[in-house]
Amino acid sequence: MKSLAFAAALASAASWAIADPISFEDQRERTVTLDGEAERVVTIPIPAASMFIAVDGGTDRLVGMHQLSKTAIKGRILERFYPDALAIPSNITGKGFSFVPNVEELLALEPDLVFQWGHLNDDIIDPLVNAGLNVALIKIGQEAFTRKWLTIMGEVTGKPEKAKAMIDWRDDVMAELQAATAGIAEGDRPRTLYFMNYLSSLRVAGGKSYNNFYIDLAGGKNVASELGMFVEVGIEQIISWDPEVILLNGFEAKLSPKDVYDNPLLADVSAVKSRRVYKMPLGGYRWDPPNQESPLTWLWLSMVLHPDKFNWDMADRINRNYEFIYGQSVDADDVRNILRFDMNADAANYDIFADG
Amino acid sequence: MSLVDETSTPAAKRRLGLWTTLLSLLAASVLFSLGIGRFGVSVSNVVSILLGNVLPLEPTWQPVEERVVELIRMPRILIAGLAGAGLAVAGAALQGVFRNPLVGPQIIGVSSGAAFGGAFAILVSESQVLLIGFAFGFGMLAMLVVYGISRQQGRASILMLVLAGIVTSAFFSALVSITKFVADPDDKLPAIVFWLMGSFASASYDKALLIGLPVALGSLVVYLMRFQINVLSLGDEEAQSLGLKVERTRWIVLIAVALISAAVVAAAGIVGWVGLVIPHFARMLTGPDHKVLIPAAALIGAIYLIHVDNVARASIAAEIPVGIITALLGAPVFAYLLRRAANKGWSSE
Amino acid sequence: MIRVENAAFRFREDWVFRGVNFTLERGQTAAILGPNGRGKTTLLKSIVGLLKLAEGRVETHGRIGYVAQKNDMSFSYRVLDIVVMGRAAHVGMFRTPGIEDYQIARLTLDRLGIGGFADRIYTQLSGGERQLVMIARALASECEILILDEPTSALDFSNQALILGILGRIVSEDGLTVLMTTHVPQHAQHLADTVLLMHGPERQDWGLAHEMLTEARLEALYGVPVKALEVENHGRTETALVPLFS
Repeated sequence: MKSLAFAAALASAASWAIADPISFEDQRERTVTLDGEAERVVTIPIPAASMFIAVDGGTDRLVGMHQLSKTAIKGRILERFYPDALAIPSNITGKGFSFVPNVEELLALEPDLVFQWGHLNDDIIDPLVNAGLNVALIKIGQEAFTRKWLTIMGEVTGKPEKAKAMIDWRDDVMAELQAATAGIAEGDRPRTLYFMNYLSSLRVAGGKSYNNFYIDLAGGKNVASELGMFVEVGIEQIISWDPEVILLNGFEAKLSPKDVYDNPLLADVSAVKSRRVYKMPLGGYRWDPPNQESPLTWLWLSMVLHPDKFNWDMADRINRNYEFIYGQSVDADDVRNILRFDMNADAANYDIFADG
Repeated sequence: MSLVDETSTPAAKRRLGLWTTLLSLLAASVLFSLGIGRFGVSVSNVVSILLGNVLPLEPTWQPVEERVVELIRMPRILIAGLAGAGLAVAGAALQGVFRNPLVGPQIIGVSSGAAFGGAFAILVSESQVLLIGFAFGFGMLAMLVVYGISRQQGRASILMLVLAGIVTSAFFSALVSITKFVADPDDKLPAIVFWLMGSFASASYDKALLIGLPVALGSLVVYLMRFQINVLSLGDEEAQSLGLKVERTRWIVLIAVALISAAVVAAAGIVGWVGLVIPHFARMLTGPDHKVLIPAAALIGAIYLIHVDNVARASIAAEIPVGIITALLGAPVFAYLLRRAANKGWSSE
Repeated sequence: MIRVENAAFRFREDWVFRGVNFTLERGQTAAILGPNGRGKTTLLKSIVGLLKLAEGRVETHGRIGYVAQKNDMSFSYRVLDIVVMGRAAHVGMFRTPGIEDYQIARLTLDRLGIGGFADRIYTQLSGGERQLVMIARALASECEILILDEPTSALDFSNQALILGILGRIVSEDGLTVLMTTHVPQHAQHLADTVLLMHGPERQDWGLAHEMLTEARLEALYGVPVKALEVENHGRTETALVPLFS
């Protein structure tokens, strides 16, 4: 039913290919005006690339992305869905978590719209604006911000219906989960810690992070909520927090729960003793930051936090929504890959994801 | 006139008081630091845990408390103390050898050379031994380059030395940037960045041993050379006319300093200002004689960095980089000391 | 003994001095006089071994104690610690001075009448006191040759007299060979057996003190008229060499 309406919307969007100017407000309250639908888009924020591909339903209109966007595609399921994505240039910024644009490389791509972070400093924005590019500034941290990304992407691709469907899905799952977790008493919410970095230094997600939002939503309690976004802490602080569940980021590719279990200094931490250390899944994108599959993150986490309370059919949820987002289906092996059974198989309660 | 020795003079008695004070302060600092941290362990339990190492005590404490005190705090305090002592000894030796209050391991290029060596080691391997080896190798190399640039007609003027140090440091900083640029952004780059920032957060006994051996060896050499450093601090010409083998002496001291600096850099990244400020402060207490100055600087440096690290690890939930605190404290204190010294005619050269 | 043969020193293209020849016998004292910039200090440093001659050679027998002209110091050491540094040549690498070295240092201070200075801070001493400490440090090295660069410059009359008196006494007691520079002909008269006059790069006169310290030679050396006045000093007749300024 839903997909029928969606197909109709697609068809109508295509028939208005040459359209009126599109105008929208970005997340820094700037008005951005395009001559028509964006045909050549560059995304600098890392999760924005796969989200754009998801909204647009293909890679044709994405002409540039961040290097770390590509590492989430390469070798993972999105590469299978959109093999052409690997050919999209990703040399448009500095190395690592750098968002400084390489303006000349960018200009050579002749983009008609560039997505850039709006919550960092303006030095990463001004060169783009000064080069005469259309720039849409987006922010991270709250779920509402992510919805706005979808809205903007829907508008500029002429696919507002798809974007709206993706937002509606978020609403549905959020309401579903909120109803289920709202009643969980403070004392029954597992103390949860998300490691943004673990291998080189210990950096955790604080109260202003997006991670904090979904830990809450899934019925947990972020032990680091007193801190800001992502903050360096000492090992003793972690012991003092004594998290019951530890979540490992998807950015440090080699990081696995074994690294945490093998650390003698963390041997007394509840999550280690009860083997509740989990690598964040990686589907169409890393599930830890906000992304087009966030509702799946929330559902997965609610099961990780409350294996006795929740038993969503994750395989089914993944399959149905991949059908809707990407128009693709996945098999049981794909699901195991997405949920990182390679690293999580031995973790406590993880077998609840196995029989789906 | 006394034909005995120097132990009965009032100065020697004052010195005995100084040693007693500094050693007690160090012991108190270590005990105090074992008792503070983000994880609550009661003072009585800290004491019991420590005594439990030598006495057959029935544990009244949680195993986790023992682990926190003995596996997390103790090695961290050890490393901070060793680093502080090492940097202060290195700084005192350099200031003596170059007769210049502005000289520290950072200024003559050792630190930046060692930083590059360490960053490069992280890039190519995961071995701690390799890290310290590369840090030492490139620290020495940087110092050789500085010395090579500054030597003219067989001798190195202090001004040239400092200028050459600035040039060499800039060059090795660029090499560090290149290393960062080519590093894998997923794992190597954050490791290098974090290491360069300087932190004792990843302390362990293995690491303490790794830094402890070179620091102890280097400091011992410096201490054995205390009289020669005194003579060298008169200036090259005077030292030579007094019969000192100037070049050889300086090289022995410089190698020892490079060894100490490399070990500290390898264990904790670049921790600035300690090697500059602490020897000054120690000199105000002890006078310039390196026989007294070097051990005093070592003790004061250890006490200082232990407390700096206490602030870094225990004041708030987040880790504060140690280098930030030492710079915040060090720069103004150094400016004050410099002005004081200038008024006394210290800066005559 | 100091033997200087055909010594020459060059600064860039210019000769500072050339063809300097003299032999100072053991136990003798020599003074070097000459206008500023004629290379007196350079010659001393070449003999000490701090500078390399462009030509010629220097031969010395016995340990050299050197008292430089400049006597300020970067660090405020205790006097005893400074004097004991004079023992550097006797203290091996990685070693420190022993009790014996401190004894020698204290004895030397006592000999110079400044035993009470041992615990004082060098940088807080007066110019004359510093000069005495520097001489003590040179003597503590148990040198046989003492080389002093303008030991009396920047001192008042009483300190000049003090230093000259002490130098005279020590030299005769120890039988030291002494080479010093000075701008005061009377000081040379007072101490020196022989004198080297450094006129210019190519001309140096070496000879007995009373032959060198004459009105004519000094006038030629400095370009200022000099009068030799006969004066009574404690019942003895002495010649005072007085420059006349117009």
